[in-house]
Order: sequence, then structure tokens, then C-alpha cells
Amino acid sequence: MPILAPPRGFRDILPTEARELRAIEHALDETFTSYGYVPIEPPMVERVIADSGADRQRLMQFLDRDGSLVALRPDITTAVARLVAQRYRDATGALRLSYFAPVFREEPAMLGAEREYDQAGVELVGPSGPLADAEVLALLAESLARCGLRDATIEVGHVGVVRRAFADLNDDDSAAVIDALRAGDHVTAFRRAADAGMRDGALARARNALAARGRTIEAVDIDGVDELREVIHLARDLFAGEPLWGVPNLSLVPELPYYTGVVFEALHPKSGFPIAAGGRYDLLLGAFGTPRRATGFAISVPRLHLALFQSGWRPARERALVSLAPAGTRETAQVAAALRARGVVVAIGAVAERAGLEIVDAAVVAGDRVRMADGRVVTADELAREVS
Amino acid sequence: MSRLRFALAQGVLLPDALAALRAVGLDVSGLGEDRRLVVPSGDIEFVLARPGDIATYVERGAADLGIVGKDVLMESAARVLELADLRFGACRFVVAAPRDALERSLDEYRHLGSLEVATKYPRVAEEHFRRRGIQVEIVKVAGSAELAPQVGLADWIVDLVATGATLAANDLAVVEEIATSTARLIANPAAYQLRRNEIAPLALRLAAWAAAR
Repeated sequence: MPILAPPRGFRDILPTEARELRAIEHALDETFTSYGYVPIEPPMVERVIADSGADRQRLMQFLDRDGSLVALRPDITTAVARLVAQRYRDATGALRLSYFAPVFREEPAMLGAEREYDQAGVELVGPSGPLADAEVLALLAESLARCGLRDATIEVGHVGVVRRAFADLNDDDSAAVIDALRAGDHVTAFRRAADAGMRDGALARARNALAARGRTIEAVDIDGVDELREVIHLARDLFAGEPLWGVPNLSLVPELPYYTGVVFEALHPKSGFPIAAGGRYDLLLGAFGTPRRATGFAISVPRLHLALFQSGWRPARERALVSLAPAGTRETAQVAAALRARGVVVAIGAVAERAGLEIVDAAVVAGDRVRMADGRVVTADELAREVS
Repeated sequence: MSRLRFALAQGVLLPDALAALRAVGLDVSGLGEDRRLVVPSGDIEFVLARPGDIATYVERGAADLGIVGKDVLMESAARVLELADLRFGACRFVVAAPRDALERSLDEYRHLGSLEVATKYPRVAEEHFRRRGIQVEIVKVAGSAELAPQVGLADWIVDLVATGATLAANDLAVVEEIATSTARLIANPAAYQLRRNEIAPLALRLAAWAAAR
């Protein structure tokens, strides 16, 4: 027997799940479109660039026949940065791009981690300032809401403010502190800052800033905090949604190094991991030779799906599937055609995979009539009315 | 809202962890007295697990908080928030070699270009030698790494030592220290944000308790 399971970290998505993912994709696509975003499809494989910020250990990489190192894309943001530098080098104005596509990450074995999963997101290239930051923030909130997710909060931080909280330190020490914060290690971050001679008062101020979440942010007096609050207010003007979906939170320091300003993560009580993350990354395009302002976000589709599922969400009911038991071949073909012409979804014969759809059994009788499971004989018109 | 789930490492850290929690006013009376692994106590649900699993539970959100050694965090590379140094359970990651064989193994390195290093902590060991630019072959063992040089399995070991008594008893000497470790209060990053009102005061109290010791 050949091995039938796909390689580690890859899996088949069967129809019940695939239908749900399609529903999510559809809702996201509609929302992205309503903000003026247009779809983009970068290639599956990209060259490996030394300083693109990607963790090389987590790339699924291999050698091309010409000897160059290539990798399955680990995210779309980097691909978009490359593409913008190449194809929109001289573009002025705002570039609004959206995507829904698989990405690939090498994950340690035995943690149940997938090496391929869908990401959906947008990139806003060109504009900067509070309105641009607020736009992507509001778009994320509205996207999750339109998928049907309730109780999500979006935590909004500001990497620039966190950097300024440690501005007393020299560049090396400051970089080490930020590195520790990016790794989630507050213990090492504050210890390093103290060892580097940061004064107690400044240290306490930085500690308070990082601990500020929600209203307590008002007490933080560091340049950029007002901007953070303004962005959240603007975003709530753009999309009202549930009360208080946007929470100012300076402890948010993303793992990826290319963020420069406002950053955010979507959280949900049913998910131990963020569902989406994003922010301003003004430095990434510069790495490709075209310095441009940019912001955006990426939604992890499996995590969004999981949170939706665990909150009891199911995709909107689709039309029932009529399973048509055949009689003579010509008659069966004619009845199927007559039903489909009236908008009925018809499969000829027994259905092995219903993918969560409601099945209506009907048997071909004669002359465009069918017998239902309860014995009634109805016309194509009558059946079409029943299942619509 | 469900109880805050707090994962504690069974083993050497547990008595100190319980003392710390008791000192900040939590009721830990039901813990470790019988064979239960899940022990509710007021607004908190305690979970007992092996040290190596704590980081995994917290990273994946199965537990909101945990107390675990920095050594475990370094080896697991789990993405969790380290909120406070609790200062107990002190130990060190060290490179150790047979007391009389340091010069011999360095000579071997010159001739053979690589050293064999036995360890229970392959990630920590590999990271350390890569940083130092020393070519090594890591031999992963499940326990008693100090045995490896004596039977010729490896030249050096990377191990966790508290007092150094085991090293000394096996005629091993510390070549260099890689890192020190103490117990840390860790949190799931998402839970830390969503349940900040419950987690932050607890973290502050534990940090203050640790600082006062």
C-alpha cells in the first residue's frame, strides 16, 4: 500500500469544512471590496532575501535549478512589499490590495502545527497618518463582524511609543530591550534596562506605560499616545460595531521586527492565539529599495474559523440538495434539466458526501414529475417552490 | 467567565511555588495532597503538570498562567509572556567536561574539528555553541548526561546544575556557564490581554513578594 496521508503539516480540507471556509472567504472579500481594496495574487514561491525580517528557520525553502535559494511564501506582506517595489515603483496615491491565500511555515514536529494555512488580509501602501491607520483597524473589525464573530476585541499598541519609553538608553541597550519585549520576555527587558543604567523614575514610567490597557492609557505621558487614542477614535467613527472593540494597549510588541508605528491584534475569548495581527510597517518596503509608507493586517483563517465554530457559528443555510433517484436515462436527464432550469440544486443518484447540506430525496417518475420521500408525486415547478 | 487557569510544575519547584501563592493570599490547600491534577480554588483553577508541558499548555491557551523555570522556557522556545522573576529554583545551564580532560578535548577539537556534547537540552546547547562558533555534534540523552563522558558517549555535556554536587561526584568540572535560571510567572499572551484585570494584580503581588525576599 502506498502511504495515503499527505506529508507532515499538510492536510486535506473536506467539503463540510471547505464550505465553511468559502463562506468566510466570501464575507471577507465583500468587506475588503467595500473599502476599495482590490485582490492581488503573488506567486507561491519567492526568493529568500537575507534581511526581509522573516525567520529563516521557519521557511520551507529549497534550491532552484539555477542554485538560487527559494521558499514557499511564509506570508503575503513580504511578497506584496517585493511586488510593490517592482511593479508600482513610481505609483503615487494609495495602493489598496487584498488577498486570501495559503502561506507556508516550517513548524516543529509533534505540535500539531500546520505547515500550510490560509491567510486573508489587506495592505494599504502610500498613505500615512491617523486616518490611514484607522482605516485598516476599522476594516479588520468590520471584517470579523461581517464573518459573524462576536466578542472579538482588537488590542491596539504603538511600537514607536514603546521605543520612546526606553529612549534614555543607548542604541544597543534599547535594541536589546525591544528584542526581549518582542520575545514576550518582560523580565529580561526590564532587567537589561536597569543594568544599562536607566533611572528608577524612568524605569517605573516605562513599566506603567507597558502595563497600560484601556482607560489607564490616559495617564501615560509619552509622545505618540495621543496619536494612538486618536486612531482608535477615528476607527470607531469608521466602524461603530460592538462597544469598545478597540482597546489601547502598549504591551503589544509584535514578534516580527518590521513594525514601526500603530500595531494591533484581534483576540477572542475562545482562542488562545491572536486571530489576526497587523500594523504600520514603514521600513519593510525600504528593504526592497522603494521606501514607502505601509500598513495592513493578516487574518489567520483557521483561527478565525475555529473561534467562529466554537461560538456556535455555522454558515448561512444554502439551498437544499435534491438527490434524484434515476428512472430511465433520458427521462432522468430531462427531469434534472427541468429542475436545474428552475434553480433547484440537483445531484443524480445517491449522495456520498452531503457537506452539511440538507438532502431532499426525490425519484423520477415520468414526464417531468418526481415522487417525494413521503410518497407525494409533484411537478418540477412544485418541487422548485418547496425547496427554494 | 470561566476560572483563571493556573498551571504549576510538579517536582522541585512545587513547594516554593505553593509558598509564593500562599504568601500572596491564594488558597492552595488542596494542591499536591492527593492525586488530583485539576484543583479549583475560588476564582482560580490550578492544574498540575510536568515542567516541560507547562510552557506548551500556556502557549496554546489551555492554561492562562503558569509558574515554570526559565530553563524550561529556554529549551521549549514557547511563545509566552514572562511577567515576573519569582527568584526561587535557582540553577545554571553549564558546559562541563571531565576534570582532567579539558586540554585533551580541546586538542581533539583541533584534530577532529568537532566535539560531541551530550545533553537533555539540545536546543539550549546548540544555540550556545552556534553563538560561540564551536562545531559540535549534539547527542540527545533522556537523563544523567554526566554519565556520557565517563563511558565515551560524548566529550562534554550541557546540563542544568543547582549545587554542582552531581558534577563533582562524577569528576566533571564546569567549562563555562551558559545562563542562569529561576522560576518565572508566565502568561498566555491572549489571556494576558483579555483577562488583564485578573492577571495584572496577581502578577504585581507575586513580583512584590519575590522582590521582598
